[in-house]
Amino acid sequence: MAELVFFVIAAAICFFAVLVVTSHDIFHSSVWLAMTLLSVAGLYFYLDAPFLGVIQVLVYVGGIITLFVFAIKLTAHIGDKSIVQTNRQTIFAGLCCLILFALLMNMLQHSCHGPFPHSEPISLKQLGQSLVSVYVLPFEFISLLLLAAMVGAIAIGRDKK
Amino acid sequence: MIPLSYIVALSAFLFCVGVFGVLTRRNAIGILMSVELILNAANINLVAFNRYSNGTDALGQVFSLFVIAIAAAGSVVGLVLIIAIYRNGKSIFVDKYDLMKW
Repeated sequence: MAELVFFVIAAAICFFAVLVVTSHDIFHSSVWLAMTLLSVAGLYFYLDAPFLGVIQVLVYVGGIITLFVFAIKLTAHIGDKSIVQTNRQTIFAGLCCLILFALLMNMLQHSCHGPFPHSEPISLKQLGQSLVSVYVLPFEFISLLLLAAMVGAIAIGRDKK
Repeated sequence: MIPLSYIVALSAFLFCVGVFGVLTRRNAIGILMSVELILNAANINLVAFNRYSNGTDALGQVFSLFVIAIAAAGSVVGLVLIIAIYRNGKSIFVDKYDLMKW
């Protein structure tokens, strides 16, 4: 049963991700991206990381996808179906990615061998405590980075008139 | 539980799809979307290895939280740059832009 759930989630992720990069309409592409990110959130729930799943839905699907949709609508006629959205390297790029995938699979075959220990899932309390004790310095730097990104976005996006 | 290699294979596939998108898209917004796919592949790996490791440390989950935050900051600045470029030249196709080429 648990395996079936994983295969359903994995199939959804692969299907939607391929649609994201092959869709002709950039707006459809953003909707498929939202579906992909939701499926990844499902995978986080499956891997006993519910907090990450919720954050994924909140930050990605709630925040970043909204930004993408706004950017697409602000650059309206660019994403039109009549304009070709891909460049002329499609075949070469596909070939390169297939080779890359084959190499990664080959590497995977020689590593990742079990048996893996059945450990307890990380509890939310544990995650929160490690975020403010061991990893407090990177945590603070993240807030600094978010502030810098916000100021930078306002400074670049301002109309200079 | 399913073997770890299945999850790693899934994330490798997602990574390759993202690389394909970065290589083939003309629209700069499409390239940013493909980069999000790549970052998600990395996140899946972090969470999966954390789940299958023996320790009780939450390192993998903490770092994928950081990756999500950095991805959010990056895509905000990227989209604002794209809109600024669009305002400047009415196009966001990356093969049309040689503004910085001397």
